[in-house]
Amino acid sequence: MGVAYGGGSFASEKGGRTSFDQELYKKMTAPAEHGLYRSSYEKDSCGFGLIANLDDQPSHWLVKTAIASLNRLSHRGAIAADGKTGDGCGLLLKKPDKFLRAVAKTAGIKLAPMYGVGLVFLSRDEKIAAASRAELEAQLKAEDLIFAGWRNLPTDPNACGAEALKTLPQILQVFVNAPADMDEASFNRRLFMARRRAEKAREELDAAFYLPSLSATTLVYKGMIMPAHLVEFFPDLGDERVEASVVVFHQRFSTNTLPQWKLAHPFRFLAHNGEINTIEANRGWALARGPVMNSPLLPDLKDVLPLVSMHGSDSQSLDNMLEVYLMGGLDPLQAMRLLMPPAWQGIDAMDPDLRAFYEFYAPHLEPWDGPAGVVLTDGRYACCTLDRNGLRPARYVITKDRHLTIASEIGVWDYKPEDVVRKGRMGPGQMIALDLQTATLLENEDINELLKVRHPYKVWLKKGVKYLESDLVDPSLAAEPMDKRTLAVYRKMFNITAEEREEIIRVLARDESEAVGSMGDDTPMPVLSHHTRNLYDYFRQQFAQVTNPPIDPLRETIVMSLQTEIGPECNVFQPQASHAQQIVLNSPVLSQRKLRQIVAQSEHGVPNAFIDLQYDPAEGLQNALHRICREAEAAVRDGNIIILISDRYLVREKIPMHALLATGAIHHHLVTVGLRCKCNILVETGTARDPHHFACLIGYGATAVYPYMAYQTLYEMMKKGGVTGDKAEQDHRIELGRRYRKAIRKGLLKIISKMGISTIASYRAGQLFEIVGLGPDVVDMCFRGTQSRIKGANFDDLHSDQLGLAGRAWNDMKAVEHGGLLKFVHGGEYHMYNPDVIATLQAAVNTGDYSIYKSFAQLVNERPASALRDLLALVPKGAAIPVDEVESEEAILSRFDSAGMSLGALSPEAHEALATAMNRLGARSNSGEGGEDPVRYGTEKNSKIKQVASGRFGVTPHYLVNAEVLQIKVAQGAKPGEGGQLPGDKVNQTIARLRFARPGVGLISPPPHHDIYSIEDLAQLIFDLKQVNPAALVSVKLVAEPGVGTVAAGVAKAYADLITISGYDGGTGASPITSIKYAGSPFELGLAETHQTLRRNDMRHKVRVQADGGLKTGLDVVKAAILGAESFGFGTAPMVALGCKYLRICHLNNCATGVATQHEVLREKYFLGQPEMVINYFRFVAREVREIMASIGIRSVAELIGQTQYLKTAEGQTERQRRLDLSPLLSTEGLVSPAQFCTEPRNPPFDKGLLAEQMVSEMQAAITDGSGGEWSYAVKNYNRSIGARLSGEIARAWGNYGMAKSPVTVKLTGSVGQSFGVWNAGGLNMILEGDANDYVGKGMAAGKLVLKPPRGSGFVAKDTVIMGNTCLYGATGGELFAAGQVGERFAVRNSGAVAVVEGAGDHCCEYMTGGVVCVLGRTGVNFGAGFTGGFAYVLDMDRDFVDRYNHELIDIHRISPEAMQTQLLHLQHLIERHVAETGSEWGAEILRDFRSYIGHFWVVKPKAASIESLIENLSRAA
Amino acid sequence: MSVADKNLQFLDIPRHDPEKLPIEVRKNEFREIYTQFDATGSKQQAGRCLACGNPFCEWKCPVHNYIPNWLKLINEGNLFEAAELSHQTNSLPEMCGRICPQDRLCEGACTLNDGLGAVTIGAIEKYITDEAFKQGWRPDMSNVVKTSKRVAVVGAGPAGLGCADILVRNGVTPVVFDKYTRIGGLLTFGIPPFKLEKEVVEKRREVMEEMGVEFRLGVEVGKDIAFEQLLAEFDAVFLGMGTYKYVKGEFPGENLPGVYEALPYLVSNINHELGLPGGESFVNLQGKDVVVLGGGDTGMDCNRTAIRQGAASVTCTYRRDAENMPGSRRDYKNSVEEGVTFLFNQQPIEIIGNGKVEGVRVVETRLGPPGPRGRRVTENVPGTEQVIPCEAVVIAFGFQASPAQWFSPHSIGVHGNGRVRVSADRVTPFQTTNPKVFAGGDMVRGSDLVVTAVFEGREAAKGILGYLGLQ
Repeated sequence: MGVAYGGGSFASEKGGRTSFDQELYKKMTAPAEHGLYRSSYEKDSCGFGLIANLDDQPSHWLVKTAIASLNRLSHRGAIAADGKTGDGCGLLLKKPDKFLRAVAKTAGIKLAPMYGVGLVFLSRDEKIAAASRAELEAQLKAEDLIFAGWRNLPTDPNACGAEALKTLPQILQVFVNAPADMDEASFNRRLFMARRRAEKAREELDAAFYLPSLSATTLVYKGMIMPAHLVEFFPDLGDERVEASVVVFHQRFSTNTLPQWKLAHPFRFLAHNGEINTIEANRGWALARGPVMNSPLLPDLKDVLPLVSMHGSDSQSLDNMLEVYLMGGLDPLQAMRLLMPPAWQGIDAMDPDLRAFYEFYAPHLEPWDGPAGVVLTDGRYACCTLDRNGLRPARYVITKDRHLTIASEIGVWDYKPEDVVRKGRMGPGQMIALDLQTATLLENEDINELLKVRHPYKVWLKKGVKYLESDLVDPSLAAEPMDKRTLAVYRKMFNITAEEREEIIRVLARDESEAVGSMGDDTPMPVLSHHTRNLYDYFRQQFAQVTNPPIDPLRETIVMSLQTEIGPECNVFQPQASHAQQIVLNSPVLSQRKLRQIVAQSEHGVPNAFIDLQYDPAEGLQNALHRICREAEAAVRDGNIIILISDRYLVREKIPMHALLATGAIHHHLVTVGLRCKCNILVETGTARDPHHFACLIGYGATAVYPYMAYQTLYEMMKKGGVTGDKAEQDHRIELGRRYRKAIRKGLLKIISKMGISTIASYRAGQLFEIVGLGPDVVDMCFRGTQSRIKGANFDDLHSDQLGLAGRAWNDMKAVEHGGLLKFVHGGEYHMYNPDVIATLQAAVNTGDYSIYKSFAQLVNERPASALRDLLALVPKGAAIPVDEVESEEAILSRFDSAGMSLGALSPEAHEALATAMNRLGARSNSGEGGEDPVRYGTEKNSKIKQVASGRFGVTPHYLVNAEVLQIKVAQGAKPGEGGQLPGDKVNQTIARLRFARPGVGLISPPPHHDIYSIEDLAQLIFDLKQVNPAALVSVKLVAEPGVGTVAAGVAKAYADLITISGYDGGTGASPITSIKYAGSPFELGLAETHQTLRRNDMRHKVRVQADGGLKTGLDVVKAAILGAESFGFGTAPMVALGCKYLRICHLNNCATGVATQHEVLREKYFLGQPEMVINYFRFVAREVREIMASIGIRSVAELIGQTQYLKTAEGQTERQRRLDLSPLLSTEGLVSPAQFCTEPRNPPFDKGLLAEQMVSEMQAAITDGSGGEWSYAVKNYNRSIGARLSGEIARAWGNYGMAKSPVTVKLTGSVGQSFGVWNAGGLNMILEGDANDYVGKGMAAGKLVLKPPRGSGFVAKDTVIMGNTCLYGATGGELFAAGQVGERFAVRNSGAVAVVEGAGDHCCEYMTGGVVCVLGRTGVNFGAGFTGGFAYVLDMDRDFVDRYNHELIDIHRISPEAMQTQLLHLQHLIERHVAETGSEWGAEILRDFRSYIGHFWVVKPKAASIESLIENLSRAA
Repeated sequence: MSVADKNLQFLDIPRHDPEKLPIEVRKNEFREIYTQFDATGSKQQAGRCLACGNPFCEWKCPVHNYIPNWLKLINEGNLFEAAELSHQTNSLPEMCGRICPQDRLCEGACTLNDGLGAVTIGAIEKYITDEAFKQGWRPDMSNVVKTSKRVAVVGAGPAGLGCADILVRNGVTPVVFDKYTRIGGLLTFGIPPFKLEKEVVEKRREVMEEMGVEFRLGVEVGKDIAFEQLLAEFDAVFLGMGTYKYVKGEFPGENLPGVYEALPYLVSNINHELGLPGGESFVNLQGKDVVVLGGGDTGMDCNRTAIRQGAASVTCTYRRDAENMPGSRRDYKNSVEEGVTFLFNQQPIEIIGNGKVEGVRVVETRLGPPGPRGRRVTENVPGTEQVIPCEAVVIAFGFQASPAQWFSPHSIGVHGNGRVRVSADRVTPFQTTNPKVFAGGDMVRGSDLVVTAVFEGREAAKGILGYLGLQ
């Protein structure tokens, strides 16, 4: 249940102290449900918009149009299994006064000149409802307001689906009159207070009680209905008298189907499309900040704490916060800019005054960040704002009838082309607002101008802020180097093994980046381990998948920041000079000197307290933690602003508590006592070495960290000349520290970006981890609110861990441990793919000897418990049965897939051997994402599963139609939240050809799919794939983490047919080691959660679920089936069967077994793999599965799936294993659906794509016989993926290029839906007169797309947006001409298409590896990040392109008419084509005066390519 | 060298062993036949290591040497660090580098051994310690805090030395007793100097004495000193006395003059070479036709000793095929190079001769079905007998445990085959049935490799530390 508000209160005490309701706090931060599902996992997203009259003229037409527009966005929402229940939609409108007065009168309610109105949801139990009504009336009265009456709002339940009806509340309207002397703002504030008090009072008593709105200015209608039935449900809305001048509308897509009426948007002020990635930190800080938020307008604000809801929807919490800001006196412009600031830290060219505005507020609140498009109105302003990264689309149009329409898509209602005054789109971090009072449209710049001058921010900052910048770089790596003995003591105390020193710390300082490794993590989770593991190992990083995207820390660092401020937080409602007294650091990673400077009182005057983390073992860990919490509290009450916690000064009698325990405990304690915002926690610790360690400390509240042991270790290595291998490095000791910090910073950026978070401020204390294996005592005290679903180690265990380390540490004769966490070492951590396992498996498959396989299976099945499933034992159904009564080996084999491993990562020989083997077995191989040679199509070497990942390498229509399954790899177990990488050495001619890339140039896939920022985007991609290949099933690969089940439910609602749940232990060809080690959960957890959530949502029968992650034996398969899988993916094991020896050098292209290399000699001479080996392996596994099933009396896998009664928890082998609680994995509580597995052949989309079907039926003959021809159609925004069906048919018949000579030409008019021309094949030319939404030409292989403005348009085409975001993503060829501007990330990952457009948004040509892009106008920032192939022309009339391109990989050149004749002619020819295709006026103008314009053009090319080679490459490619 | 080159060093630079002396030189002298790597050679060869995620070399190595790690250190020119690391897992790395059958252990398991040429691990291991000693490196004992504990170590062979090494590094004073006047046991007296020169063993003695190990040599426990006395004077006792009872052929003619047991033959030769007492029993096979029976490492040593003594011919018989021969591939190859003739699949059934050896009767064998331990047993092929004429026969069929008289009075229990019973307890491994007495090496596991004995000696030392409450 998503509880909106808590019921406790802050009480003022003497001396301004505030106390806190502990119970409430615990309740709000504790998980509430059984099994593995939590309601807090729910995510939502959607389509949204607003329509406003520029002159504040209300009309019913506007309301009607808004509802119609909402209906046109239905495809962005989701529909429940009943086909009628939507996930919710609604309207927020400016109060329709005339109508309300009329209906009030009818209802006998007398209204004062000023009155408020609210929609009220109540329990259907009349007794409860009456009490709630009475409460509200009483609270209104308590605020001196006059309750006017209840109106029985007419509603028609027939408009609801069955699901929605189950929870349909009683819905009423309440009218409240204002006292005569009250102004509207005060009236609204009092209404707010009354509502909050009533909500708090009724929270426990009436679950349905909820007020969608209560205001004197606006009114909300919303519910769990489809847009088409909105008016039917609320007949009010059809009433002609309902007139409004502004309406905000919203259509919701929730990841699950449990109906929640109140979570429909819009909320009281806003509607939101996207997801707030930072929500955990935002909620936590909102709670902590309660005591410092203080507005004279709301003197009693503290009565209604907490200010934001801690559960339920992120959008709802955002709306709560916005409401507090607005009630506290901020206007929507300032409030929204503070909540969602643009990326200001990284934009050097920003206006200094504006920068000062953001910088001033930065220490006092953290951004609410994430993919977000927000539309809102408070009755005066109608605004729209986008997140800093522009991850949601928002398009606007202003029509001649004086209306502004903003929506997720263009073309949501049918205005006439000639009535358009202006069209545009919102850019990243931009805001637009209509001031209805003054009828002024405020554009982004206007809003900036207004805000920056409100206070002398720049002056205040200049006086107050102290910058500790890089001029204070530590000159001595370790000012007091430890002697050899002391160093050994510390290393042993903090368990810094030789391996960690060499493979982690050294690499960080040497390479300025994290070590890269390959394969996966095959060690047990720390709670299962027999060794003493670092506490940080229990923490698994969370990551974004599907419902929100990771940020790209490599190519889009421009939006990210690690800036860290030290100082107290102050009240945003009363900004003043003293609030600027802050120390500003460029990152939270401290050098010794910086730490000294910060704590040196004389210099900065920051009072600080030192807390030693050591304790007497007799005191006990938990008591010691309580003690330091009290010490910290006392220190803050004494006025200390910095709490420095430290384990730097070890003494023999004591042992150090782990700094992470201390950080979390102090943070939570200070929140509880209301002091958290008055201090900063600095951590001086020997436990912090790699980026994950820093992330944990910061994630639990540390402001900054001083990792002294990393420096001491580096210093020692440097003395021995062992860091860089350079003997002269003694002279570079400064460099080593700096390099190390740079590496940590990069690592931190990667970790926060993985979760889609851009700034460290929004990550701090966000607790974005899953804990695997810590018990409730530890979690409740130190990490409250973090998921720790299977319990585990308690304080005693952690205490004895440290005691053991201390014993060794002070024994000088004990050497520092060697390690063994990364690589197998005798006596070190257990490795599931240890040499015995590898050698035995290879012996078995090479000989085909099942008895050797049995030895292998025994080694695996009887290993020391290393995976969760090892602690689950089979429970026989009954007596054993003869094996021949069990279903056949073939039946079992058909459930096996190989996991996606790309050609490129693998050698062609290995890739083909694997495909051949799987095909011969009747199983399926997975191409991975690196293309596949078309000669393999139709042969036994064809991969039945074709993967689509974020790089879109080699993803063409021909590739897609040659698949039985199309798998969208959203995340990969070894490195969820990150993109793949293929080192340049592995990109040889063949690989380059198949990936449309350049030989020798490394390939990096973006962390996000740039067409999946949100769940409805995934639905769109699935639709795209089903259009191009209707015969294929679509699969979505996810990685286990808390909430993956809910994501999976959303994926099922997005019409996927299969879902793969991968574990943390998946393999990779190349990934940073900390990603391999610290992200993702065991598949057992993810699988069980998915199975439970799908059953809970009655969706299990619609999708097939696959388990993937370290499966090796038949027993693994049987257990996975019982946990809910009906299909099984194997990655590493079949590779080992082919000869892989788990060398972990896949990223170096020197695989000595020839499996994971492109090196000719190694492949030809040393690859010994044969399909038979893989066949032997899988047959053995299937045989073992049969034997096991026979032994427990089971006849088929179907009898096992989800039947958790066949598993029980087994006795653990260690104390902490015995403390684990695996029962949630086996729980069947609350699972309604009887289905245990998929029973439907496929999961067809709601949208039947009728226009596309019509097009195919009309053109089929022309395609089949290759005759071509011309057709015309009208299109609307709900006609999506137009062209894909045709391209699929063409590719099937002719391949990518075979029909190019006799094309079909399709002429279209109107505003077309998303993915126009997606996967376009050669032979399909489409000419659109109108405009298009996102993803035009995505994955285009060939053919031509032309977009031109409608005839009769009044606007200037070159200044007008003609298509949306992420167009030409992953295109490999073809041509695109568009007479207008394009959105963000144009031509991202383009590797061959030629395009001409007239202006582009941010990140244009990102990751481009081929093709030509010509932009005849202004581009956004960060042009050409990661651009390694092809080239671009940019017309730079403002002469500021130099500030707008990314300088890392590309350079820019003028075109000199003399020296660069070929280039000049090429450009001219391109523009001529553009004019010919689109009739572009701007193009014609440039050509008319070409000699003048040529001086404004830049040629943009990769630094590595010569100008001369550009055209040459082009003609070769053609 | 660019990164790409470095990654492919194993391909670009072939495996290269240190040079061997020319056959003409080496077959006439009892000196080591391999020359030493120089810094460049070792660096280059060490750089061929792939640093596998699964270090198969370390896995297969009985002492689990951190092989990839010290290869990396050598590649980076960090000799002393490498020596330090090498000693972390092995008490006698310079000896193991020389005499381990690397082709069956680390180098055999090396990923590159599939056609690419394994890394020359043994030669580098040897180089590390030899060169570090030469440059003045000594084990770092600065952290050791001396305790008052003293432990008697019986036997100065690999197990005893391994045990003493760990004890002394943990502040316990080991006093090592050996009946011979030199340390090393078989390292000195069994292994011929062309594989392990005795200066190497002497160097180790010097180093260990500097570390604080006390040697009492020429003292035989049970004869020169009573075992009771050890129990009384010391806090614990470690037994590492090896296996000396040789396996007999159990066929006619074994007692004819001219039939020698391998070990006395080798020992006498070494005594003779070193000019030590015991050289009087020196067996000189100069000018004789010699047959060596047995294809193990001892057999190889006998072969090559006979060659160096100037035997007219040396023929070695083995009952299985070349593939299954337990002796090191390297020694086999060297033997062949030096002129030994091998006869495979030959089972000796009789030594014939009239008052002196005149020949060995053998019968051809073939491999039958696998026996109880998985290895295929041989069976004789009827009608294939033949006689190999010769004047001397050396029998090298291996060794069996030889429990001392005083074991049983002190409750030191043995298995049926005479091997000493020890505990597998985690705290006190290798404890015998007498709690104060520990044992390891061949006398516990039966005749095995030097490196296994070193490992057991070291593990037993940890058991002793546990027993003494010092762990």
